[in-house]
Amino acid sequence: MNKRKQGAATRTTRRGHAAKTPDAATEHNSGSGAFAVAAECTVADASALKSGLAKLLEDSGVVTLDISAVQRIDTAGLQVIATFIRERESHGRQVEWRGTAPALAAAAKLLGLSSLLKLPSAA
Amino acid sequence: MTIDLTQFHDAFFEESFEALDSMEAALLKLDIGAPEPELINTIFRVAHSIKGGSATFGFSDIASFTHSCETLLDELRSGGMQVSLEISDLLLKTVDVMRAMLRSTQSKQPLDMQKVSDIQFDVEMMIAQKNAAAKAALAPVKSAVAAPATNAQPSATAATAQTPAGGAAHTLASATPAAAAATSAPASPAPSAIPAAPAGGSFADRSVAGRSVAAPRWEISFRPYRELFARGNDPLRMMRELAELGELTVNVDTSALPSFAELDSQSCYLAWKLELAGDVAEDAIQQVFDWAEGDCDLRIGRIAAAPSLLAAAGSAAPAAADFSAESAKVVTEAPAPAPAVEVVAAAEEPKHEPAAAATAPATAAAAHTLTAVKDTKPDAISAVGDSGSIRVSVEKIDELMNTVGELVITQAMLSQLGAALEGANAEKLRAGLAQLERNTRELQESVMRVRMLPISFVFSRFPRMVRDIAQRLGKHIDLKLTGEQTELDKTVLEKIGDPLVHLVRNSIDHGIEMPDVRIAAGKDAVGTVHLDACHRGGNIAVEVSDDGGGLDKERILAKAKQRGLVGQNDVLTDDQIHDLIFLPGFSTADKTTDLSGRGVGMDVVRRNVKELGGKVELRSERGKGSRFIITLPLTLAIVDGQSVAVGSETYIIPLISIVESMRLKETSISRLSGHNEVFSFRGDYLPIIRLHELFGVEPRARALHEGLVVIAEGDGRRVGLFVDDLLGQQQVVIKSLEANYGHVEGVSGATILGDGSVALILDVTGIIHAASMRVAA
Repeated sequence: MNKRKQGAATRTTRRGHAAKTPDAATEHNSGSGAFAVAAECTVADASALKSGLAKLLEDSGVVTLDISAVQRIDTAGLQVIATFIRERESHGRQVEWRGTAPALAAAAKLLGLSSLLKLPSAA
Repeated sequence: MTIDLTQFHDAFFEESFEALDSMEAALLKLDIGAPEPELINTIFRVAHSIKGGSATFGFSDIASFTHSCETLLDELRSGGMQVSLEISDLLLKTVDVMRAMLRSTQSKQPLDMQKVSDIQFDVEMMIAQKNAAAKAALAPVKSAVAAPATNAQPSATAATAQTPAGGAAHTLASATPAAAAATSAPASPAPSAIPAAPAGGSFADRSVAGRSVAAPRWEISFRPYRELFARGNDPLRMMRELAELGELTVNVDTSALPSFAELDSQSCYLAWKLELAGDVAEDAIQQVFDWAEGDCDLRIGRIAAAPSLLAAAGSAAPAAADFSAESAKVVTEAPAPAPAVEVVAAAEEPKHEPAAAATAPATAAAAHTLTAVKDTKPDAISAVGDSGSIRVSVEKIDELMNTVGELVITQAMLSQLGAALEGANAEKLRAGLAQLERNTRELQESVMRVRMLPISFVFSRFPRMVRDIAQRLGKHIDLKLTGEQTELDKTVLEKIGDPLVHLVRNSIDHGIEMPDVRIAAGKDAVGTVHLDACHRGGNIAVEVSDDGGGLDKERILAKAKQRGLVGQNDVLTDDQIHDLIFLPGFSTADKTTDLSGRGVGMDVVRRNVKELGGKVELRSERGKGSRFIITLPLTLAIVDGQSVAVGSETYIIPLISIVESMRLKETSISRLSGHNEVFSFRGDYLPIIRLHELFGVEPRARALHEGLVVIAEGDGRRVGLFVDDLLGQQQVVIKSLEANYGHVEGVSGATILGDGSVALILDVTGIIHAASMRVAA
């Protein structure tokens, strides 16, 4: 795989993305203990992400983060998720992942946060 | 809290335009066949940082386009392709496209995307051709099935905007994760191939085969400040770029992370220790962090490679070669090092364990040679471009300039008061005032220098322009630039560009002859256009000269007579004939081209220069060439003026328009019909304009021989301005009359004198105009 491959992939993603997620910044709770992470998790969306996660911080059960919608994530977004997971774990509360997010996995890898996040597809 | 990235757009555009200028300059300097590596690096860096910036701000079209350029440049940089005339022409076109894209994004105007995609296609085609050639050579070793297929039809693949290499890599990518999927978590077996593919793509190593095995390793300590995000920077982007440069090991420091409740989602709490292996220049690493400069602590140090690493890399390299030149990479995690260390290995799946294991001991054994690099700047490549400076808005400087102007006036007032004082302390006061005056002058000059920029900012556009026009006209032209470092005021600089473009175009189109004509005339086939700038007194002289045919005076005169601009029997001096070409609509060109010949241009040149308070002179010799000399004031904020008295009023006449001053003898004055008066001045008769009449002031002297005349020049005409007395020469701070009151014909501005009174600065051209209107009325 070389660099050109990546360029081509980026372009495809861009077009597909624009068509698919016009309403990217919304996020919603899909039931107790579960949280669907929004498509856009960049610095502009980080505070919304944080307030969304905050409701689940003290949840005594297993919290499931559904990341299948995530299209774009940056350091700020990942920092929020990482802090959330670290805090839950320090209190012995579990977090589980649902779905996969290539963007999230790649970002976590590059930022050295994969092991903290314990992503399932950390290949 | 949402961060508004648009606030950084201006800075991005400004920097990008400057970067494109230096890219263009570097491209023009590029020697075909034997290019200087540093120039290619400069060009590459520009494309790279524009790509990074536009991706950050979400200008995906620009990012996509620059990515293609970058790929082509990378081939040139790595020696995979040679610089040919075709490539350098293509790259110059990409500069135009990038500029157009940035401009349209900045102004939010639509852009002709067809042109963009045409050029992008050309670029990708160029890369595709190279790869097709390279692949043909590699084909026997290749195990990938897709490669031969792409080789067979390179053009067909390129037509779908996908390079053949991209196609081959894609096939490989989807094959490799299948193996990785077996080892990944069972929870999501099917989609796990998808995350692996782009991840692998991001880490892709561009040219494993060409990369030295004993490559250096870099240790990078990257500690962002909290506000890094707020400045529009994303460490993720930097990591991605670093991973593209070489093999990246990421070690995150999360110790600064606060509790979730205390977390400010807009602040960066993370820090990183990175290791980058590969044949990477320190500059390239610096470049990645360029946008974060000032928003982080950054240390880049080289680690001397330990033998164990060399051995491991040695064993990994053949493995990569075996698989294919396009070796697909798999991201692997180190088995047991410190919790948060991840390794991006350059080896194939079966080899990753030894390679990754080798990394840890190698790091431990490595000798660290850390150097602080925060203050070092990427080297300045040309006179234009990065000059180690801070950006300050022009308004702030104007404000400063204005305040200093006020200070000068206040100081002049104090000096005048102090001079009249008597008493024990008066002498001390005067000494203090003298010191104040000195300091004020120095301060004023310093502030003025802040507004000064070298004229190279304007000159730098000409190499490209001359090259293009000469190519179009089939002429051979050598452009010579001298005095590029001459500094002048930014406002003047901005307005001098267009007149110079007209003059240079004229020189190429009308001045320089076709090569065969030149040879027939016994001249070198290559014509020379020379742009020069220098300081002359308080002014700056910009000269455009050529060694072309010069002005054809007979033809100009004949044309002027034909159009009735000159009487059939008039005899004109050379200067007067030269002046004709500055008339609106005047052209002797046989045919109108898209370059020049429509007769607009020279009058625009003169008008623009005049607006700046300057003048244009022309010297031309038939068969030898022409010289246009533009004389401009250094600044528009201060003018050297002669103060004159008319009645109780004081007026300032800019020195640049004064020819000389004299007392008239009664015998030299003649009265014409009506009210008009003329006087003889060196064989000429010049009209007299009585300023007191023009401005309605009660004069001290009405008889012409009792006062003085100031012979002033404007618009190519000379007049005598009748005044009571000359008071002295001084630099005055110009206050705009338009901004504070309104436009007055014959007055270009006002200033405040030492005694606090206001003096008007005269606009000689306007006065001549106003006076001739009065005569006509």
